[in-house]
Amino acid sequence: MDIVAMHIPDGYLGPQTYVILWIVMIPIWAIAARKVKRTLKAKQIPLLALGAAFSFIIMMFNVPVIGGSTGHAVGATLIAIILGPWAAVIAISIALVIQAGLFGDGGITALGANCFNMAVVAPFVGYYLYRFISGDAPSSRRRVVAAGIGAYVALVAAAIVAGIMFGIQPYIAHTASGQALYAPYKLGVAVPAMALEHLLFFGWVEAIATMGIVAALAKSEPELLQMKPAAKPLRWLWAGMAVLILLTPIGVLAPGTAWGEWGGEELDSLVGYVPANLEKVGGLWKAAMPDYATPGVSNTMLGYLIAAIVGAALCVGIGWGVGALLARRRGGEVGSAAEASPDPPAAQAG
Amino acid sequence: MSSPCPCCRPDITPAIPRRRGGGRSLARKTADSVARAVTDVLQNEELAALPGLLQRLDPRIKLLTLGLFAVTASLVHSVWVLIALIGVTIVLAAASRVGVGSFERKVWLSAGLLAFLVAAPSALRVFTPGTVVVPLGPFSLTEPGLMGVATLVTRVVASAGFALLVVWTMRWSDLLKALSAMRLPDVVVATLAMTQKQILTLLRTVEQIHLARESRTLTRGSARADRAWVTERMAFVVRKSMKTADDVYDAMLSRGFTGAMPSLVRLRMRPRDWAWSAASVALCAAILYVDRMVGP
Amino acid sequence: MSADFVLEGVRHEYRAGAPALAAIDLTILSGQHVAIVGANGSGKSTLLKMLDGLVFPTSGTIRAFGAPLTEDALEDPAYRRDFRARVGFVFQEADVQLFCSDASDELAFGPLQLGLPRDEVERRVREAAQQLRIEGVLDRPPYTLSGGEKKRVAIASVLTMQPHVLLLDEPTNALDPRSQVWLLDVLDEWKQEGRTVVMATHDLSAAAESADRIVVLSEDHTIVADGTPEEVLLQRELLLSVNLIHEHTHRHASTAHRHAHAHGPGADPDLAHGH
Repeated sequence: MDIVAMHIPDGYLGPQTYVILWIVMIPIWAIAARKVKRTLKAKQIPLLALGAAFSFIIMMFNVPVIGGSTGHAVGATLIAIILGPWAAVIAISIALVIQAGLFGDGGITALGANCFNMAVVAPFVGYYLYRFISGDAPSSRRRVVAAGIGAYVALVAAAIVAGIMFGIQPYIAHTASGQALYAPYKLGVAVPAMALEHLLFFGWVEAIATMGIVAALAKSEPELLQMKPAAKPLRWLWAGMAVLILLTPIGVLAPGTAWGEWGGEELDSLVGYVPANLEKVGGLWKAAMPDYATPGVSNTMLGYLIAAIVGAALCVGIGWGVGALLARRRGGEVGSAAEASPDPPAAQAG
Repeated sequence: MSSPCPCCRPDITPAIPRRRGGGRSLARKTADSVARAVTDVLQNEELAALPGLLQRLDPRIKLLTLGLFAVTASLVHSVWVLIALIGVTIVLAAASRVGVGSFERKVWLSAGLLAFLVAAPSALRVFTPGTVVVPLGPFSLTEPGLMGVATLVTRVVASAGFALLVVWTMRWSDLLKALSAMRLPDVVVATLAMTQKQILTLLRTVEQIHLARESRTLTRGSARADRAWVTERMAFVVRKSMKTADDVYDAMLSRGFTGAMPSLVRLRMRPRDWAWSAASVALCAAILYVDRMVGP
Repeated sequence: MSADFVLEGVRHEYRAGAPALAAIDLTILSGQHVAIVGANGSGKSTLLKMLDGLVFPTSGTIRAFGAPLTEDALEDPAYRRDFRARVGFVFQEADVQLFCSDASDELAFGPLQLGLPRDEVERRVREAAQQLRIEGVLDRPPYTLSGGEKKRVAIASVLTMQPHVLLLDEPTNALDPRSQVWLLDVLDEWKQEGRTVVMATHDLSAAAESADRIVVLSEDHTIVADGTPEEVLLQRELLLSVNLIHEHTHRHASTAHRHAHAHGPGADPDLAHGH
């Protein structure tokens, strides 16, 4: 069975990368499961199963692009539009598990990474773009266009993230002679390659498939495309943060220090002297992760990444904790009213 | 004699016309890959029922140990140790009677070939600088470049081997039981079970759609017409999926479904499972040790 | 004889303005064997699902075993367990109904959901497998089974709950002639065991063979006839008007030969034959 272009097989990612992505996915799955349980309730199992089956099947269709060429679509945006982005996380993850476990296509160690790309980045980016472009009360034509753009951008975004995953391998794991131990192309090659491949070809496959299906559904079953309400900005943050975390290693590539974030040494070399108070205060706080490097991890890139994740996790954890405390004081359940989603499409005539 | 009503007319099945000009049509391509997928799955069941080494193990242990091997394959640095790991997959495949020939073919021709094609350019000096081994001017191949390609390909082949062993020696239902016993939430296991079922049903539908189209098409259509047809069919599959979800849900409710998916079978560890676990752990440790000694 | 189901003024709409059932008054007595016939879209399946508490009337009432059958009533776990055990539904497509990983799990699903002890569950599974002669396929996943085997597994999976009422949606659809005969035998057995059977079908000959009562649904989703097979199936005009049979004309030499026939598996072309 032909698999989708951005599907990462086993062996291309080192454990430093794939373990982190497994760790990142676990809370995401847990959150998605909770949200889905609340909205779909007992009906979640068949709906998710159908979503997963459908996602799997979509990956099998040969979509004609130009001339005689065909490609495979992922359908992440489409599923997010129909089932909602959180349900899409689970449905697509399940489709990927089945691809690996039942059909023997797709990696097992790389499962976390693939789920992150195709089951998290793609559906969220696609879904929120779709909503943003559709606006309120859109015509079907507008929906179709919004879905197409959403799908295209989502796929390219996911491809870039995959490219980053590939591209950091040579930095993270190499021998003394410079030989790559896993995926052999550096960021400068991997990211543009993945991006171009999807900008020029697979993105269009995705857009064509998504637009066509949305158009057909808009005619026959418009309720399937109804908006899941209240896209809280909070969710933008989650998705955005995840992407940013992965992009942080790029900071290692940029020379110099961010403007304004100078420490004592930099100021000294820049200006010639160090303000007295800065000297005093500078020594007080011995950061747990000085210079954004994780102690014990010598490789800069990896250290950066870990630091980013730990930092983000701390922020989120503290924010969540504070929010929970406040909500409890107010007597409500954390995130209940704010994050409620509507019932799934009503049962159709039998 | 007036013509009979349409429902009384005898069935006329048109023959599938032979296509001129080579190259499979769009419909045929998809129908073929679907057919292949379905036969693969059915074959898995047969392979998983053979009396081989791996098939006889407790599914949890099988999953865990094969996973351990796959992780080991991802930790190894030396190409030679990776080749040894490929040897391990061959031995296991043989001991499990899954047909070493087809096993190797599948692993090398899909995963291995792809890895080679993807990585080959990285042997060029422009991508991986280092000592030149094959001087070809601007297209010189460097030593680290070539080693990198070799490492990737052998690693991919070894990992794919272990993953394929999981699929070929384990029945899907046993895989689910193992996952459930390893504390994966009921909802997830239930959804996996049902998804697999739905996939096979939908696959049949997809295959029929494409074959029906194939049998009625005499000329190759324009790309636009093809696109329209494909997306319309995909929409049909969406609609059918949603309808089926409702029906399946009703069927589950009707049998008293309350949210859990219990199962009758109890998994038991036997002496051979313990023996195998110990052997695998020891082997992996040995491999990693050797790799540390040998490798770069 | 007590009534298993009493429907009064039942109406059901899936969407506003698209009724699936209109003004249904129906009483089904315990032990009766009823066939609900009608053209496609007349509402047979909906009526059956209503009897199983899967859909509920938009207006009107339905009582089952003497108590009101409502969505709220089914929220109560004890009532729900009892109801689900008493009523079994065999769906038109076996595929819809088979969702477990292998056949024995399928048979065990119902009793396990009912909370029965393990050995009781295992006993019921063995019995049902024997009854339907599927012992050989118990450890195989449903997708490897043939159509006939799947149907038998589907029926067995309902029987393990030992229901008093059996609802069957188009049971003879997609069955080869031998399996159809086998099914009619099974229906006979159930009749002798005193179970209530309600069958939705457009296969008039199967209805005639096994049912002791036929209810005809029109395309307006109302009941237009209700009686014994002999009474109902002789009303040619009626059956024509509800699109269950149709007429066509052909000639033998110089005479025009007009007859009505039904379509569907096992349809008997001589039904309501007239010259």
